[in-house]
Amino acid sequence: MQNMLMGRYIPGDSIIHRMDPRSKLLVMIAFVVIIFLANDWLGYLLLVLYTLAGVLLSKISVSYFLKGLRPMIGLILFTVIFQMLFTNGQHVIFSLWFIKISTESLINAVYIFFRFVLIIFMSTILTLTTPPLTLADGIEKGLGPLKKIKVPVHELGLMLSISLRFIPTLMDDTTMIMNAQKARGMDFGEGNLLKKIKSVIPILIPLFVSSFRRADDLAVAMESRGYQGGDGRTKYRQLKWKMRDSLLVVSIIIMAILLILWSKVS
Amino acid sequence: MIKFEKVNYTYQPNSPFASRALFDIDLEVKKGSYTALIGHTGSGKSTLLQHLNGLLQPTQGTVRVGDIVVTSTSKQKEIKPVRKKVGVVFQFPESQLFEETVLKDVAFGPQNFGISKEEAEKIAAEKLEMVGLSKEFWEKSPFELSGGQMRRVAIAGILAMEPEVLVLDEPTAGLDPKARIEMMKLFESIHQTGQTVVLVTHLMDDVADYADYVYLLEKGRIISCGTPSDVFQEVDFLKAHELGVPKATHFADQLQKTGVYTFEKLPITRAELVNLLTSLSAKSGGEN
Repeated sequence: MQNMLMGRYIPGDSIIHRMDPRSKLLVMIAFVVIIFLANDWLGYLLLVLYTLAGVLLSKISVSYFLKGLRPMIGLILFTVIFQMLFTNGQHVIFSLWFIKISTESLINAVYIFFRFVLIIFMSTILTLTTPPLTLADGIEKGLGPLKKIKVPVHELGLMLSISLRFIPTLMDDTTMIMNAQKARGMDFGEGNLLKKIKSVIPILIPLFVSSFRRADDLAVAMESRGYQGGDGRTKYRQLKWKMRDSLLVVSIIIMAILLILWSKVS
Repeated sequence: MIKFEKVNYTYQPNSPFASRALFDIDLEVKKGSYTALIGHTGSGKSTLLQHLNGLLQPTQGTVRVGDIVVTSTSKQKEIKPVRKKVGVVFQFPESQLFEETVLKDVAFGPQNFGISKEEAEKIAAEKLEMVGLSKEFWEKSPFELSGGQMRRVAIAGILAMEPEVLVLDEPTAGLDPKARIEMMKLFESIHQTGQTVVLVTHLMDDVADYADYVYLLEKGRIISCGTPSDVFQEVDFLKAHELGVPKATHFADQLQKTGVYTFEKLPITRAELVNLLTSLSAKSGGEN
């Protein structure tokens, strides 16, 4: 569990680290949308260059990104291979029984592969360069307009930041309880399915109990420090929208326009 | 009984998050001894402790438990018998309770090592009595008990596996003074029956009162070891490492520094201090 890299923050001082989480989130979401606009090699080239620029600017070694890719590689290959085998195309270059591989299906598979990799790279840039709490702040602020339609934005933001804060704590708890039960002779991941499911109980019950207790303690501690809800609170961590954030948003808009134009032309 | 030879341990080796926790640890826990491990938070005590029962395997070096050898390449199957031999009471062990009743929870350990349910519950009842939890609680849910009682149940759960070595990781953390003394007395009485005990703590007084051998850890290295009475003589060395000494030793050291008394050997327990002081004052009283 400790080797998980997804969603981890790596401290640094690159331009991307210093950007506002709102602009990063916005660009990330926009990127996922416009990636579907690209439908030929030039479009993909543009997107690859854009992502590459992001990776370079973040000053984080590429190996981190590759590691972030690792847990997803099975899913990517699965999808890619399915695309390759079951897309019907004109120019069949290989055929065996019901399997037909055509140039179109090959190209399609390559595109899908790039789509996956680019989306993962982009989201990895976001999580590697933004501390989770800042990210939560960004989401809360970004959802701000929804307050008008009575979405409890502050509560959602609070829950999000508390959950993010407690992920490592709960992970530690899990490891601790697992170790304690192992020390009592419990085997994990052995035996048949039923036995495996049963072996989860000695972890889950203590984990739930300790979460309840933690929640209780936290609620009491928050109330005793005068927390009464979202109204009338000031913010300690202020988000500042700077020139570079505007530039970032402009860059993704330019990308979108270029891709739309190109798909119209071709 | 347990022997560490040049044990090194690195967390998350070969990754950007690699951090080394143990450096060339040589350590021995003799049969029937009461060994204490002391050191700061983050000195590697808990990492070391997890090597004692094979939860962690050394990245280098060997750990021998009885006739089982654990190295970096040992398989989980080979290690399981180690867990039967070495019972570990982790910090805040009450958080590991999960069964419907106290008795069932205590019987969980032995059952994992292949003892029948009836037999396991018999042992459980015996151990619950040993830790001083009266019969009325046995059929209750462990979550209805008080913190101190829950801890007793958890400790009984380890004792029920009848380990050859009992490892205690700060067993009195968060207990009130009375419960603390009771619990330490309980472990001492278990030790008196010939049980090997390893105590991890940062309470120097407990070490002085109960242990017969002590290892001092700092930043993953053993910086001193010996009998408590020898180790605690070096008051200045210990203070320089921010480890402190038992209260009695500190008091005697201060007295000695005022020049009123000189001790050949600093006392480590209160009883020793009282003895020394009465004999010294008797002597000086006689001279006047």
